[in-house]
Amino acid sequence: MESMQRYVSPVNPAVFPHLATVLLTIGTFFTAWFFVFVVSRPKNSKERTLFKELSISLCASIFLGFGVVFLMLSVGIYI
Amino acid sequence: MKTNRCSILLILIFYTICLTQAKIINKNVERSLDISTQLVKELTKITATNSDGKPISVYTFIVPAADRKNLAFIAARDENKKELKYTEKVVDGNHQFSIAFPKSTATEVFTIEAVYTKKLIPHPSQIPQSGKQLVRYEGNLYLNSLYETKSQKLSVLLSSANILSYTQTKPFNVASNKIKYGPYENIEALSNQSLVIHYENERPFLTTTRLERIIEVSHWGNIAVKENLYMEHTGALLKGSFSRYEFQKDARSGHAIKSYKTILPASASDVYYRDTNGNISTSNMKVMRDFVELELRPRFPLFGGWKTHYTLGYNIPSFEYLFNAGDNYQLKMRLIDHIYNDMVIDEAEIKIILPEGVSNIEITTPYPVKRLPNEVHYTYLDTVGRPVIIMSSKNLVENHIANFNLKYSFSKITLLQEPLLVVAFFFIIFIIAIISIRLDFSISTTHSHKD
Amino acid sequence: MNHSPGLVSRRSVGYKSLITFTVLLIAWLAGFSSRLFAVIRFESIIHEFDPWFNYRATGYMVQHGFYKFLNWFDERAWYPLGRIVGGTVYPGLMITSGCIHYILHTLNIPIHIRDICVFLAPIFSGLTSISTYLLTSELWSRGAGLFAASFIAIVPGYISRSVAGSYDNEGIAIFALQFTYFLWVRSLKTGSVFWSAGAALSYFYMVSAWGGYVFITNLIPLHVFVLLLMGRYSERILTSYSTFYILGLLLSMQIPFVGFQPIRTSEHMAALGIFVLLLIIAVLRHLQSVLSRSEYRKIYLFGVIAAAVIVFTGVVILTVLGVIAPWSGRFYSLWDTGYAKIHIPIIASVSEHQPTTWFSFFFDLHILACSFPVGIWYCIKNVNDERVFVILYAISAVYFAGVMVRLMLTLTPVVCILAGIAFSNLFEVFLKEDNNSNTFAHKTISYVEDHDDNSMEKKNLYDKAGKVKFRPKHDTLHETRSGIGSNLKSVIILAILMILMMFAVHCTWVTSNAYSSPSIVLAFHNNQDGSRNILDDFREAYYWLSQNTDDNARIMSWWDYGYQIAGMANRTTLVDNNTWNNSHIALVGKAMSSTEEKSYEIMTSLDVDYVLVIFGGVIGYSGDDINKFLWMVRIAEGEHPKDIKESDYFTDRGEFRIDSEGAPALLNCLMYKLSYYRFGELKLDYRGPAGYDRTRNAIIGNKDFELTYLEEAYTTEHWLVRIYRVKKPNEFNRPSLKLSERILTPTNYITKKNPKRRKGYIRSRPTVIKGKRTKKLQ
Repeated sequence: MESMQRYVSPVNPAVFPHLATVLLTIGTFFTAWFFVFVVSRPKNSKERTLFKELSISLCASIFLGFGVVFLMLSVGIYI
Repeated sequence: MKTNRCSILLILIFYTICLTQAKIINKNVERSLDISTQLVKELTKITATNSDGKPISVYTFIVPAADRKNLAFIAARDENKKELKYTEKVVDGNHQFSIAFPKSTATEVFTIEAVYTKKLIPHPSQIPQSGKQLVRYEGNLYLNSLYETKSQKLSVLLSSANILSYTQTKPFNVASNKIKYGPYENIEALSNQSLVIHYENERPFLTTTRLERIIEVSHWGNIAVKENLYMEHTGALLKGSFSRYEFQKDARSGHAIKSYKTILPASASDVYYRDTNGNISTSNMKVMRDFVELELRPRFPLFGGWKTHYTLGYNIPSFEYLFNAGDNYQLKMRLIDHIYNDMVIDEAEIKIILPEGVSNIEITTPYPVKRLPNEVHYTYLDTVGRPVIIMSSKNLVENHIANFNLKYSFSKITLLQEPLLVVAFFFIIFIIAIISIRLDFSISTTHSHKD
Repeated sequence: MNHSPGLVSRRSVGYKSLITFTVLLIAWLAGFSSRLFAVIRFESIIHEFDPWFNYRATGYMVQHGFYKFLNWFDERAWYPLGRIVGGTVYPGLMITSGCIHYILHTLNIPIHIRDICVFLAPIFSGLTSISTYLLTSELWSRGAGLFAASFIAIVPGYISRSVAGSYDNEGIAIFALQFTYFLWVRSLKTGSVFWSAGAALSYFYMVSAWGGYVFITNLIPLHVFVLLLMGRYSERILTSYSTFYILGLLLSMQIPFVGFQPIRTSEHMAALGIFVLLLIIAVLRHLQSVLSRSEYRKIYLFGVIAAAVIVFTGVVILTVLGVIAPWSGRFYSLWDTGYAKIHIPIIASVSEHQPTTWFSFFFDLHILACSFPVGIWYCIKNVNDERVFVILYAISAVYFAGVMVRLMLTLTPVVCILAGIAFSNLFEVFLKEDNNSNTFAHKTISYVEDHDDNSMEKKNLYDKAGKVKFRPKHDTLHETRSGIGSNLKSVIILAILMILMMFAVHCTWVTSNAYSSPSIVLAFHNNQDGSRNILDDFREAYYWLSQNTDDNARIMSWWDYGYQIAGMANRTTLVDNNTWNNSHIALVGKAMSSTEEKSYEIMTSLDVDYVLVIFGGVIGYSGDDINKFLWMVRIAEGEHPKDIKESDYFTDRGEFRIDSEGAPALLNCLMYKLSYYRFGELKLDYRGPAGYDRTRNAIIGNKDFELTYLEEAYTTEHWLVRIYRVKKPNEFNRPSLKLSERILTPTNYITKKNPKRRKGYIRSRPTVIKGKRTKKLQ
């Protein structure tokens, strides 16, 4: 007990809003790219695009997920 | 043989007489009784000696059964203000507190501090809006003690100089709002002389009938505290009508409760004060150096018998109260916090919500509390739920504001579970979109024309 | 530029969709944030009066489950009658919030039901813009759709009923309305059963959400009828209308409140009649294809006339017999506007039911009110099946909006649609390049094909200006179109953009100033230091009631505040905003307008414990009960004409005054006494007189009076809400003593009786001798 230090968060709370904005913007960009990619593909075409779609959506969901977490922390919902 | 028996008998008698004669005597007792607020605060300074000069190891302080349920707090300190330990047991309807002295000396000087709640009875019990609140105190003029007292004094502090009646046992001395009784010489053990004082007490008689304190710990750097309070004015009941005109005309608040000050910890932020109808806007917050002072006004002034209920909450950064060494964490926070000066809490329930994935929970409290079984609480981004430690206690006063100690272990990787949950959620949405693009529900391949 | 044209067009389709999606998202965000003024200025709280009942019903449903809610009998309203909530409420709003609450709590997102209710209307406003976009793009083009979506997101006519905190049926009903219309137009265009069934489902949602579903029930048959008259019959109409009508009829009867009304009331008969007519015409058309011409002509004439006569007489006979109910009062007053004031004063007393003024048309619609006739003109010029629909919608909506202020809400969507069409066409004209069929050397310049895109290509305009001079002669066909000079074009475009910007500014200003007050919390700004004072008297009083009165206490107040008392104070009320029982309201009105003795009889017969009045004389609040008093008198007079006469409360000259020249009936009635009790002693500032009423700007007439039968229980800080306790009958006779107090104090009297002499005697007893006059007693 005597050797215990005060606990601080792994990410500095002052950075929460900035981190949230940056991550959400990048996530939105990836989402827009995914959207255009999917819509501009006509139906019943024979192109193999599954891997590209999955990779874009994975990037988008990672950035959006972390962005949402930091958005919630910066708003005051300490999860 | 006869003489042997007689001598043994005599020796036994002499021994028992010695034993009975070797008892503790209170050489000097100074009692001060503070009944200026809604609490009865009794401070007793005892100088005790042993009749035969031997060192005293145990001293027993008694509280009659009738007073025991009103006793909220009792503590014993020696001359250097160090705490002395005591144990409680019930004998013949009296509650005995046995104080053990670490160093036994022939003469012991110590103080006993006791706080009683609900001992001041409003008399008359119903008063009109402009009436004065008069209360009665009934107690014992002498110290309730198992031992003989050589000399004792009693000084009573009242809230105002308006005393209607008081027990007049000589010698006594009345000076504005203080009454001094004594010194009384050679009082027998367990002697009782009733002391009744009927006086005006305009201090607020506010009771918190129920307090629910919820402490939520988050490892992202924040501790959120939320308190649900049920307050009631337990002084003289209001008889007749409440006239707003009279209330606004009379600048003196009288016995009604208009506002009180709550003290929050130093770095409290995002303070909210609301009830079931919404936000209560009548409050003032002042940030001082060591604490935050919040002046709260309930929605309506509280007269006798009137109740109100509100929720108060704030955030504190975790570095104030949470400590860690590796995977072991320790939370040191106050069990209950300051609500108003001279507070009385009838029943308090304290809940501590820890993050998901903690284990090895141990808790130590400064005074015994009742521990209820753990519960599980579900909030944002929870899968298995958060463990909740619940404790409850009754009849608490300001002296009970003390720290508890909660130890648990938690691995840092578990903190990543929350963002990954959100990532998975978004990814599932994308996958649903990818799959639904590839589905084809048309019945026939020809399309109808637009006009 | 080296890509194949297929890829370019697909890419551009992708980018177009992205732009559409982005514009709709921005419209949603703009609509959402524009409605948040009240939440930011005050807090997240339910506003006004009606939303409190919806909130309480939603709370009940969340707590007790859906089936208990459908069967709920509320005994805490309309004491002692109670109210059958399950059968008299449109449950769509509560079910929507309840579903959202359930889904969020299953995902462990603990949002309180009050926050869901407060923010439901802004979220649904975004959905309304999306469905308006879909509807307009079906009617005209995608560009017009985007315009219409942006307009309806911020237009004040819609915001007034869907601001954050206004938890009322219209918030979701307009979304359901637009979506149903979109599905109907789509089903009409495609003639597919799938879309008609979708329209019927959306109609079911609309029926569950709002009583104004009658509008859809009559507009769609009217549309079909007009199409038939115009000779535009096709199988698509048959498929879509019959599917929609039957499915919609069956689904709408599932709502307990609607019940059997669709087959029994006059408001729904038009739909049934058109259905029958459509079937007959379909039969006749089929016969036409089977039989020869002359045979057909005879049958045709005979059949049509016979069918029309049978249908019409059938409806009339059934109405006369009473099987089909005539038009209900609420809807009848839309046709005969003077009806309500005479026969149903409660409907006439609501301020929202007054006729609309020109001012409110401009206030709520701004530039859209001017441009929407242009949209109608375009639709008429390029008419087809679905544009007939929007023309009919516009005409009927304009009529109804002129009748009642409240129905401006139904006009707003169609105004946005048509204004969107107008602006889209306008931009198309002025942004159009002369490059469609010019044979001059344009192949070197890349251009975007479709006209529907609103992208501005000003960079080419100056090029074009130069090239116009080199037009070869066979392009003179385009002269009418390309005759607009580029400078003129840019000026017009700029002017229209400025007008649209002013529209946005006006909408935001109106929303901020006129439609964002929660009316449960009042605020006024100090002139000296600009700080804001919040008057939270309503919540203070309701909270006092909820904490310091018995749980079964009954509160009597005017019906305006019934829902708020039930929602915030959680106490039983006598009358509330549902106003379904006029006699009960008249009884309360009679109690308020009689003297204290007479109203005490009424109050004891109704078991009233507390009386609540709103009094604005201290702060100058003009919506208090004294200003509403004449309506109380009128409603009471309607039921008790012998006891209450409205003319008694006016002075000889016909004025309504509360000062010393006021009518004695007014100065002694219960409402006056409860409002002004002890007010005659209050001085608002040191210089003025005591008892000066700031709302009516007069010193009150009857100042020093006492209340015999009531006792002041609580008055709020600014005297806005005053609560009185009704004394029980046993408090007036001799005070009842508790058994332990019935003690006689002993006297110092010592009796002179002893065992020998037990007879008592009367001191100074007069001696009476027969025949002689008695002496006078000393």
